[in-house]
Amino acid sequence: MFSPLPDTVPAKSAGPTEARVQLGRMLYYDTRLSRSQTVSCNSCHDLEKYGVDGAATSLGFKQQHGSRNSPTVYNAAVHFVQFWDGRAPDVEAQAKGPVMNPVEMAMPDEAAVVAVLDSMPEYVAAFQKAFPDDKKPVTFDNMATAIGTFERGLLTPSRWDKYLKGDTTALSAQEQAGFHEFAAAGCGTCHAGALLGGNLYQRIGMMKPYPDASDPGRFNITRIESDRMVFKVPSLRNVAKTAPYFHNGKVGTLDQAVTQMADYQLDKELTPAQVSSIVTFLNALTGDLPAQYIQKPELPKSTAKTPKPSEG
Amino acid sequence: MRLNLQTALGGAAAVFIAAQFFQPAVANPPSDPGASFAAVVKPPAHAAAVLDRACRDCHSNDTAWPWYSRVAPVSWMVARDVRQGRARLNFSEWNLYGPEMSRLRIKAVCGAAAKGDMPPKYYTPMHPQARLKEPDVAALCGM
Repeated sequence: MFSPLPDTVPAKSAGPTEARVQLGRMLYYDTRLSRSQTVSCNSCHDLEKYGVDGAATSLGFKQQHGSRNSPTVYNAAVHFVQFWDGRAPDVEAQAKGPVMNPVEMAMPDEAAVVAVLDSMPEYVAAFQKAFPDDKKPVTFDNMATAIGTFERGLLTPSRWDKYLKGDTTALSAQEQAGFHEFAAAGCGTCHAGALLGGNLYQRIGMMKPYPDASDPGRFNITRIESDRMVFKVPSLRNVAKTAPYFHNGKVGTLDQAVTQMADYQLDKELTPAQVSSIVTFLNALTGDLPAQYIQKPELPKSTAKTPKPSEG
Repeated sequence: MRLNLQTALGGAAAVFIAAQFFQPAVANPPSDPGASFAAVVKPPAHAAAVLDRACRDCHSNDTAWPWYSRVAPVSWMVARDVRQGRARLNFSEWNLYGPEMSRLRIKAVCGAAAKGDMPPKYYTPMHPQARLKEPDVAALCGM
Protein backbone atom coordinates (compact mmCIF):
# COMPACT_ATOMS: atom_id res chain seq x y z
CA MET A 1 0.00 0.00 0.00
CA PHE A 2 3.02 2.27 0.36
CA SER A 3 5.75 3.04 -2.11
CA PRO A 4 8.88 5.18 -2.20
CA LEU A 5 8.89 8.67 -3.65
CA PRO A 6 9.85 8.62 -7.34
CA ASP A 7 13.44 9.77 -7.97
CA THR A 8 12.26 12.24 -10.59
CA VAL A 9 9.02 13.54 -12.01
CA PRO A 10 9.12 13.77 -15.81
CA ALA A 11 8.53 17.14 -17.46
CA LYS A 12 5.03 17.70 -18.76
CA SER A 13 6.09 18.63 -22.26
CA ALA A 14 9.14 18.23 -24.47
CA GLY A 15 11.73 20.99 -24.55
CA PRO A 16 14.92 22.18 -22.84
CA THR A 17 14.04 21.11 -19.30
CA GLU A 18 17.16 22.52 -17.63
CA ALA A 19 16.63 25.98 -19.13
CA ARG A 20 13.00 25.86 -17.96
CA VAL A 21 14.03 24.83 -14.46
CA GLN A 22 16.44 27.76 -14.26
CA LEU A 23 13.84 30.21 -15.53
CA GLY A 24 11.17 28.71 -13.30
CA ARG A 25 13.40 29.07 -10.26
CA MET A 26 13.83 32.81 -10.97
CA LEU A 27 10.11 33.28 -11.49
CA TYR A 28 9.32 31.35 -8.32
CA TYR A 29 11.29 33.85 -6.25
CA ASP A 30 10.26 36.99 -8.15
CA THR A 31 7.95 39.33 -6.26
CA ARG A 32 7.47 41.45 -9.40
CA LEU A 33 4.93 38.90 -10.58
CA SER A 34 2.55 40.46 -8.03
CA ARG A 35 0.67 43.73 -8.24
CA SER A 36 2.32 45.17 -5.13
CA GLN A 37 5.65 43.60 -6.18
CA THR A 38 6.01 42.23 -2.65
CA VAL A 39 4.60 38.69 -3.05
CA SER A 40 6.24 35.78 -4.84
CA CYS A 41 5.42 32.06 -4.93
CA ASN A 42 8.03 31.74 -2.21
CA SER A 43 6.20 34.14 0.11
CA CYS A 44 3.53 31.57 0.94
CA HIS A 45 5.36 28.43 -0.20
CA ASP A 46 8.73 29.14 1.43
CA LEU A 47 11.22 26.61 0.12
CA GLU A 48 13.42 26.97 3.20
CA LYS A 49 10.42 26.16 5.40
CA TYR A 50 9.25 22.95 3.76
CA GLY A 51 7.21 24.87 1.23
CA VAL A 52 4.80 26.59 3.61
CA ASP A 53 4.56 29.86 5.55
CA GLY A 54 3.28 28.48 8.84
CA ALA A 55 0.17 30.69 8.74
CA ALA A 56 -3.39 29.36 8.98
CA THR A 57 -4.14 31.29 5.79
CA SER A 58 -1.59 33.32 3.88
CA LEU A 59 -1.31 37.06 3.59
CA GLY A 60 -1.63 38.43 0.06
CA PHE A 61 -2.46 41.67 -1.71
CA LYS A 62 -3.38 44.55 0.62
CA GLN A 63 -2.97 42.34 3.68
CA GLN A 64 -5.86 40.15 2.60
CA HIS A 65 -6.01 36.54 3.71
CA GLY A 66 -6.68 33.63 1.43
CA SER A 67 -9.49 31.31 2.45
CA ARG A 68 -7.47 28.11 2.76
CA ASN A 69 -4.19 26.98 4.24
CA SER A 70 -1.30 27.20 1.74
CA PRO A 71 -0.26 23.63 1.00
CA THR A 72 3.38 22.71 0.66
CA VAL A 73 4.90 22.85 -2.80
CA TYR A 74 7.26 19.96 -1.99
CA ASN A 75 6.24 16.77 -3.80
CA ALA A 76 3.20 18.66 -5.10
CA ALA A 77 4.00 17.57 -8.66
CA VAL A 78 3.27 13.97 -7.62
CA HIS A 79 -0.27 14.82 -6.44
CA PHE A 80 -3.02 13.61 -8.77
CA VAL A 81 -4.55 17.08 -8.92
CA GLN A 82 -3.65 20.52 -7.51
CA PHE A 83 -5.24 22.83 -4.93
CA TRP A 84 -7.33 21.64 -1.97
CA ASP A 85 -10.29 21.23 -4.33
CA GLY A 86 -8.43 19.80 -7.31
CA ARG A 87 -9.36 22.62 -9.65
CA ALA A 88 -6.05 22.44 -11.54
CA PRO A 89 -4.78 19.21 -13.08
CA ASP A 90 -1.03 19.80 -12.61
CA VAL A 91 1.57 22.18 -11.18
CA GLU A 92 1.82 24.05 -14.48
CA ALA A 93 -1.88 24.89 -14.39
CA GLN A 94 -1.73 25.58 -10.66
CA ALA A 95 1.03 28.16 -11.05
CA LYS A 96 -1.32 30.48 -12.93
CA GLY A 97 -3.87 30.66 -10.12
CA PRO A 98 -2.23 32.71 -7.38
CA VAL A 99 -0.71 35.24 -9.81
CA MET A 100 -4.22 36.31 -10.83
CA ASN A 101 -6.04 35.72 -7.55
CA PRO A 102 -7.18 39.14 -6.29
CA VAL A 103 -6.30 38.32 -2.67
CA GLU A 104 -2.97 36.73 -3.53
CA MET A 105 -0.63 38.24 -6.11
CA ALA A 106 -3.52 40.16 -7.68
CA MET A 107 -2.20 40.85 -11.17
CA PRO A 108 -5.02 42.42 -13.19
CA ASP A 109 -4.53 40.29 -16.32
CA GLU A 110 -2.07 38.14 -18.24
CA ALA A 111 -0.90 41.10 -20.30
CA ALA A 112 0.26 42.88 -17.15
CA VAL A 113 2.42 39.89 -16.22
CA VAL A 114 3.88 39.69 -19.71
CA ALA A 115 4.60 43.46 -19.60
CA VAL A 116 6.67 42.99 -16.43
CA LEU A 117 8.65 40.10 -17.91
CA ASP A 118 9.07 41.78 -21.30
CA SER A 119 10.59 44.84 -19.65
CA MET A 120 13.69 42.92 -18.57
CA PRO A 121 16.07 41.74 -21.31
CA GLU A 122 17.49 39.05 -19.03
CA TYR A 123 14.04 37.47 -18.69
CA VAL A 124 13.40 37.75 -22.43
CA ALA A 125 16.66 35.91 -23.10
CA ALA A 126 15.86 33.24 -20.50
CA PHE A 127 12.41 32.66 -22.05
CA GLN A 128 14.00 32.39 -25.49
CA LYS A 129 16.39 29.76 -24.18
CA ALA A 130 13.61 27.84 -22.43
CA PHE A 131 11.12 28.02 -25.32
CA PRO A 132 13.31 28.18 -28.43
CA ASP A 133 10.58 27.06 -30.82
CA ASP A 134 8.14 29.80 -29.85
CA LYS A 135 7.79 32.90 -31.97
CA LYS A 136 6.92 34.88 -28.87
CA PRO A 137 8.48 33.04 -25.93
CA VAL A 138 7.42 35.48 -23.20
CA THR A 139 3.85 34.43 -22.45
CA PHE A 140 1.79 33.80 -19.34
CA ASP A 141 1.48 30.13 -20.27
CA ASN A 142 5.23 29.74 -20.67
CA MET A 143 5.75 31.44 -17.30
CA ALA A 144 3.51 28.82 -15.72
CA THR A 145 5.22 25.99 -17.61
CA ALA A 146 8.64 27.16 -16.38
CA ILE A 147 7.48 27.44 -12.75
CA GLY A 148 5.82 24.03 -12.99
CA THR A 149 8.92 22.46 -14.51
CA PHE A 150 10.96 23.83 -11.59
CA GLU A 151 8.40 22.50 -9.11
CA ARG A 152 8.66 19.01 -10.55
CA GLY A 153 12.16 18.89 -9.05
CA LEU A 154 10.97 19.77 -5.52
CA LEU A 155 11.10 16.26 -4.05
CA THR A 156 12.00 15.36 -0.47
CA PRO A 157 13.10 11.73 -0.08
CA SER A 158 13.20 10.64 3.56
CA ARG A 159 14.18 7.79 5.87
CA TRP A 160 10.74 6.32 5.15
CA ASP A 161 11.84 5.76 1.54
CA LYS A 162 15.00 3.98 2.66
CA TYR A 163 12.86 1.82 4.91
CA LEU A 164 10.49 0.97 2.07
CA LYS A 165 13.45 0.08 -0.12
CA GLY A 166 14.55 -2.52 2.40
CA ASP A 167 16.74 -0.73 4.94
CA THR A 168 14.89 -1.79 8.10
CA THR A 169 17.29 0.21 10.26
CA ALA A 170 16.20 3.47 8.62
CA LEU A 171 13.32 3.76 11.10
CA SER A 172 13.73 3.36 14.85
CA ALA A 173 11.76 0.68 16.70
CA GLN A 174 9.45 3.42 18.02
CA GLU A 175 8.84 4.76 14.52
CA GLN A 176 8.08 1.29 13.22
CA ALA A 177 5.67 0.74 16.10
CA GLY A 178 4.11 4.07 15.19
CA PHE A 179 3.64 2.91 11.64
CA HIS A 180 1.80 -0.20 12.86
CA GLU A 181 -0.40 1.99 15.06
CA PHE A 182 -1.06 4.24 12.04
CA ALA A 183 -2.05 1.27 9.92
CA ALA A 184 -4.14 -0.40 12.65
CA ALA A 185 -6.10 2.79 13.25
CA GLY A 186 -7.03 2.91 9.56
CA CYS A 187 -5.12 6.08 8.60
CA GLY A 188 -3.67 4.22 5.63
CA THR A 189 -7.10 3.91 4.05
CA CYS A 190 -6.62 7.40 2.66
CA HIS A 191 -2.99 8.18 3.44
CA ALA A 192 -1.35 5.52 1.27
CA GLY A 193 0.76 5.32 -1.86
CA ALA A 194 3.96 7.22 -2.59
CA LEU A 195 2.84 10.37 -0.80
CA LEU A 196 0.62 8.90 1.92
CA GLY A 197 -2.18 10.99 0.42
CA GLY A 198 -2.37 13.31 -2.54
CA ASN A 199 -4.05 10.63 -4.63
CA LEU A 200 -7.75 10.92 -3.76
CA TYR A 201 -10.54 13.21 -2.65
CA GLN A 202 -12.44 12.52 0.53
CA ARG A 203 -15.21 14.08 2.56
CA ILE A 204 -14.01 15.75 5.74
CA GLY A 205 -16.39 14.51 8.41
CA MET A 206 -16.92 11.12 6.84
CA MET A 207 -18.10 9.49 10.08
CA LYS A 208 -18.94 12.58 12.16
CA PRO A 209 -19.95 15.93 10.68
CA TYR A 210 -17.05 18.37 10.56
CA PRO A 211 -18.09 21.42 12.60
CA ASP A 212 -16.72 24.11 10.25
CA ALA A 213 -18.91 23.83 7.15
CA SER A 214 -18.09 27.33 5.90
CA ASP A 215 -15.97 25.98 3.05
CA PRO A 216 -17.81 23.32 1.00
CA GLY A 217 -14.61 22.32 -0.81
CA ARG A 218 -14.94 20.65 -4.16
CA PHE A 219 -18.67 21.45 -4.27
CA ASN A 220 -17.66 24.99 -5.28
CA ILE A 221 -16.09 23.57 -8.43
CA THR A 222 -18.51 20.82 -9.45
CA ARG A 223 -21.77 22.04 -7.84
CA ILE A 224 -22.57 18.36 -7.27
CA GLU A 225 -24.19 17.83 -3.87
CA SER A 226 -22.12 14.73 -3.10
CA ASP A 227 -18.97 16.87 -3.43
CA ARG A 228 -19.93 19.03 -0.46
CA MET A 229 -17.09 19.09 2.11
CA VAL A 230 -14.96 17.00 -0.23
CA PHE A 231 -11.27 17.98 -0.36
CA LYS A 232 -8.10 16.45 -1.70
CA VAL A 233 -6.51 14.26 0.97
CA PRO A 234 -3.19 15.93 1.74
CA SER A 235 0.11 14.09 1.61
CA LEU A 236 1.69 13.29 4.97
CA ARG A 237 5.24 13.78 3.73
CA ASN A 238 6.92 16.53 5.80
CA VAL A 239 3.72 16.85 7.80
CA ALA A 240 5.66 17.54 11.00
CA LYS A 241 7.03 20.69 9.32
CA THR A 242 3.86 21.99 7.73
CA ALA A 243 1.61 23.08 10.61
CA PRO A 244 -1.05 24.37 10.92
CA TYR A 245 -3.28 21.66 9.51
CA PHE A 246 -6.44 20.98 7.49
CA HIS A 247 -7.85 23.06 4.65
CA ASN A 248 -8.72 25.85 7.06
CA GLY A 249 -5.41 25.79 8.92
CA LYS A 250 -7.28 25.75 12.20
CA VAL A 251 -5.44 22.87 13.82
CA GLY A 252 -2.13 23.85 15.37
CA THR A 253 -0.46 20.61 16.36
CA LEU A 254 0.05 17.20 14.87
CA ASP A 255 -1.38 15.57 18.01
CA GLN A 256 -4.63 17.47 17.53
CA ALA A 257 -4.70 16.74 13.81
CA VAL A 258 -4.32 12.98 14.36
CA THR A 259 -6.92 12.98 17.15
CA GLN A 260 -9.44 14.91 15.08
CA MET A 261 -8.91 12.89 11.90
CA ALA A 262 -9.47 9.64 13.83
CA ASP A 263 -12.64 11.12 15.30
CA TYR A 264 -14.19 12.69 12.17
CA GLN A 265 -13.01 10.20 9.56
CA LEU A 266 -12.78 6.91 11.41
CA ASP A 267 -15.11 7.39 14.39
CA LYS A 268 -12.29 6.29 16.66
CA GLU A 269 -11.18 7.75 19.92
CA LEU A 270 -7.42 7.23 20.08
CA THR A 271 -5.64 7.14 23.41
CA PRO A 272 -2.94 9.75 24.01
CA ALA A 273 -0.38 6.92 23.77
CA GLN A 274 -1.70 5.86 20.35
CA VAL A 275 -1.65 9.46 19.13
CA SER A 276 1.87 9.97 20.34
CA SER A 277 3.03 6.75 18.67
CA ILE A 278 1.44 7.75 15.34
CA VAL A 279 3.04 11.20 15.59
CA THR A 280 6.41 9.54 16.15
CA PHE A 281 5.93 7.74 12.85
CA LEU A 282 4.77 10.92 11.09
CA ASN A 283 7.97 12.64 12.15
CA ALA A 284 9.92 10.03 10.20
CA LEU A 285 8.24 11.30 7.02
CA THR A 286 10.24 14.52 7.13
CA GLY A 287 12.51 14.49 4.10
CA ASP A 288 15.66 16.29 3.03
CA LEU A 289 15.30 19.65 1.33
CA PRO A 290 17.20 19.88 -1.97
CA ALA A 291 19.47 22.69 -0.69
CA GLN A 292 21.33 23.21 -3.95
CA TYR A 293 18.23 23.12 -6.12
CA ILE A 294 16.33 25.72 -4.11
CA GLN A 295 19.09 28.31 -3.86
CA LYS A 296 17.66 31.67 -4.72
CA PRO A 297 19.18 32.78 -8.03
CA GLU A 298 20.10 36.31 -8.95
CA LEU A 299 17.01 37.89 -10.47
CA PRO A 300 16.97 40.03 -13.63
CA LYS A 301 17.29 43.74 -12.91
CA SER A 302 14.29 46.00 -13.39
CA THR A 303 14.63 48.57 -16.14
CA ALA A 304 13.06 51.95 -16.75
CA LYS A 305 10.34 50.12 -18.67
CA THR A 306 9.42 47.80 -15.79
CA PRO A 307 5.93 48.71 -14.49
CA LYS A 308 5.91 50.21 -11.01
CA PRO A 309 4.20 48.41 -8.09
CA SER A 310 0.60 49.28 -7.51
CA GLU A 311 -1.21 49.20 -4.20
CA GLY A 312 -4.57 50.11 -5.66
CA MET B 1 -40.89 -13.60 41.92
CA ARG B 2 -43.52 -14.09 39.26
CA LEU B 3 -44.36 -10.43 39.48
CA ASN B 4 -40.69 -9.51 39.10
CA LEU B 5 -40.33 -11.61 35.96
CA GLN B 6 -43.40 -10.02 34.46
CA THR B 7 -42.09 -6.58 35.29
CA ALA B 8 -38.74 -7.43 33.75
CA LEU B 9 -40.29 -8.80 30.59
CA GLY B 10 -42.63 -5.87 30.36
CA GLY B 11 -39.73 -3.49 30.86
CA ALA B 12 -37.67 -5.16 28.17
CA ALA B 13 -40.58 -5.03 25.77
CA ALA B 14 -41.10 -1.35 26.54
CA VAL B 15 -37.42 -0.61 25.90
CA PHE B 16 -37.58 -2.62 22.67
CA ILE B 17 -40.65 -0.75 21.48
CA ALA B 18 -39.20 2.60 22.53
CA ALA B 19 -35.99 1.76 20.68
CA GLN B 20 -37.97 1.46 17.45
CA PHE B 21 -38.55 5.20 17.56
CA PHE B 22 -34.81 5.78 17.22
CA GLN B 23 -34.10 4.56 13.74
CA PRO B 24 -30.93 5.46 11.91
CA ALA B 25 -31.27 7.07 8.51
CA VAL B 26 -31.14 4.31 5.92
CA ALA B 27 -31.89 6.38 2.85
CA ASN B 28 -29.31 5.69 0.17
CA PRO B 29 -27.42 8.83 -0.84
CA PRO B 30 -27.91 9.80 -4.48
CA SER B 31 -25.07 8.75 -6.72
CA ASP B 32 -23.94 9.53 -10.20
CA PRO B 33 -23.76 6.34 -12.32
CA GLY B 34 -20.81 7.86 -14.20
CA ALA B 35 -18.83 8.00 -10.94
CA SER B 36 -19.19 4.30 -10.15
CA PHE B 37 -16.43 1.70 -10.19
CA ALA B 38 -18.21 -0.05 -13.06
CA ALA B 39 -18.18 3.13 -15.16
CA VAL B 40 -14.67 4.30 -14.27
CA VAL B 41 -12.71 1.03 -14.17
CA LYS B 42 -14.93 -1.16 -16.38
CA PRO B 43 -14.13 -4.46 -14.61
CA PRO B 44 -14.63 -7.83 -16.34
CA ALA B 45 -18.21 -9.18 -16.11
CA HIS B 46 -17.53 -11.92 -13.53
CA ALA B 47 -15.76 -9.49 -11.18
CA ALA B 48 -18.55 -6.94 -11.59
CA ALA B 49 -21.13 -9.59 -10.73
CA VAL B 50 -19.21 -10.67 -7.61
CA LEU B 51 -18.89 -7.08 -6.41
CA ASP B 52 -22.58 -6.57 -6.95
CA ARG B 53 -23.75 -9.58 -4.97
CA ALA B 54 -21.06 -9.77 -2.27
CA CYS B 55 -19.84 -6.20 -1.63
CA ARG B 56 -22.49 -3.75 -2.79
CA ASP B 57 -24.65 -3.59 0.33
CA CYS B 58 -21.90 -2.11 2.50
CA HIS B 59 -19.50 -0.63 -0.05
CA SER B 60 -21.76 1.38 -2.31
CA ASN B 61 -24.59 3.87 -2.13
CA ASP B 62 -26.96 1.22 -3.57
CA THR B 63 -27.54 -0.72 -0.35
CA ALA B 64 -30.43 -3.18 -0.34
CA TRP B 65 -31.52 -2.82 3.30
CA PRO B 66 -32.68 -6.16 4.79
CA TRP B 67 -35.83 -6.32 6.95
CA TYR B 68 -33.82 -6.60 10.18
CA SER B 69 -32.09 -3.34 9.37
CA ARG B 70 -35.42 -1.74 10.31
CA VAL B 71 -35.46 -3.29 13.77
CA ALA B 72 -33.53 -1.69 16.60
CA PRO B 73 -30.99 -2.39 18.00
CA VAL B 74 -29.77 -4.40 14.99
CA SER B 75 -30.61 -1.43 12.76
CA TRP B 76 -28.05 0.68 14.61
CA MET B 77 -25.32 -1.90 14.03
CA VAL B 78 -26.21 -2.36 10.37
CA ALA B 79 -26.30 1.40 9.78
CA ARG B 80 -22.92 1.82 11.42
CA ASP B 81 -21.45 -1.03 9.38
CA VAL B 82 -22.71 0.46 6.14
CA ARG B 83 -21.47 3.92 7.07
CA GLN B 84 -18.05 2.52 7.91
CA GLY B 85 -18.02 0.32 4.83
CA ARG B 86 -18.77 3.26 2.57
CA ALA B 87 -16.17 5.39 4.29
CA ARG B 88 -13.46 2.82 3.66
CA LEU B 89 -14.36 1.86 0.13
CA ASN B 90 -17.26 3.10 -1.94
CA PHE B 91 -17.85 1.61 -5.37
CA SER B 92 -20.37 4.37 -6.09
CA GLU B 93 -17.82 7.17 -5.67
CA TRP B 94 -14.82 5.87 -7.58
CA ASN B 95 -14.37 9.29 -9.15
CA LEU B 96 -12.92 10.45 -5.83
CA TYR B 97 -9.89 8.22 -6.32
CA GLY B 98 -6.89 9.13 -8.45
CA PRO B 99 -5.18 6.45 -10.57
CA GLU B 100 -2.77 5.38 -7.82
CA MET B 101 -5.49 5.12 -5.15
CA SER B 102 -7.76 3.28 -7.59
CA ARG B 103 -5.04 0.65 -8.08
CA LEU B 104 -4.39 0.41 -4.33
CA ARG B 105 -8.07 -0.10 -3.52
CA ILE B 106 -8.44 -2.78 -6.18
CA LYS B 107 -5.40 -4.49 -4.68
CA ALA B 108 -6.95 -4.20 -1.22
CA VAL B 109 -10.20 -5.76 -2.48
CA CYS B 110 -8.24 -8.73 -3.79
CA GLY B 111 -6.24 -9.01 -0.56
CA ALA B 112 -9.29 -8.88 1.71
CA ALA B 113 -11.15 -11.45 -0.39
CA ALA B 114 -8.17 -13.78 -0.68
CA LYS B 115 -7.44 -13.69 3.06
CA GLY B 116 -11.11 -14.20 3.88
CA ASP B 117 -11.30 -10.89 5.78
CA MET B 118 -14.22 -9.84 3.59
CA PRO B 119 -17.13 -10.29 3.57
CA PRO B 120 -17.29 -10.39 7.40
CA LYS B 121 -18.00 -13.81 8.94
CA TYR B 122 -21.11 -12.55 10.74
CA TYR B 123 -22.57 -11.24 7.48
CA THR B 124 -22.63 -14.34 5.31
CA PRO B 125 -25.15 -16.47 7.31
CA MET B 126 -27.85 -13.88 6.55
CA HIS B 127 -26.42 -13.17 3.08
CA PRO B 128 -25.34 -16.52 1.63
CA GLN B 129 -25.04 -14.94 -1.80
CA ALA B 130 -22.09 -12.96 -0.46
CA ARG B 131 -19.97 -16.08 0.11
CA LEU B 132 -16.94 -16.06 -2.15
CA LYS B 133 -15.85 -19.22 -3.94
CA GLU B 134 -12.39 -19.60 -5.35
CA PRO B 135 -13.28 -18.46 -8.89
CA ASP B 136 -14.92 -15.38 -7.36
CA VAL B 137 -11.75 -14.46 -5.50
CA ALA B 138 -9.75 -15.09 -8.67
CA ALA B 139 -12.08 -12.74 -10.55
CA LEU B 140 -11.61 -10.00 -7.95
CA CYS B 141 -7.84 -10.48 -8.04
CA GLY B 142 -7.84 -10.32 -11.83
CA MET B 143 -9.36 -6.84 -12.02
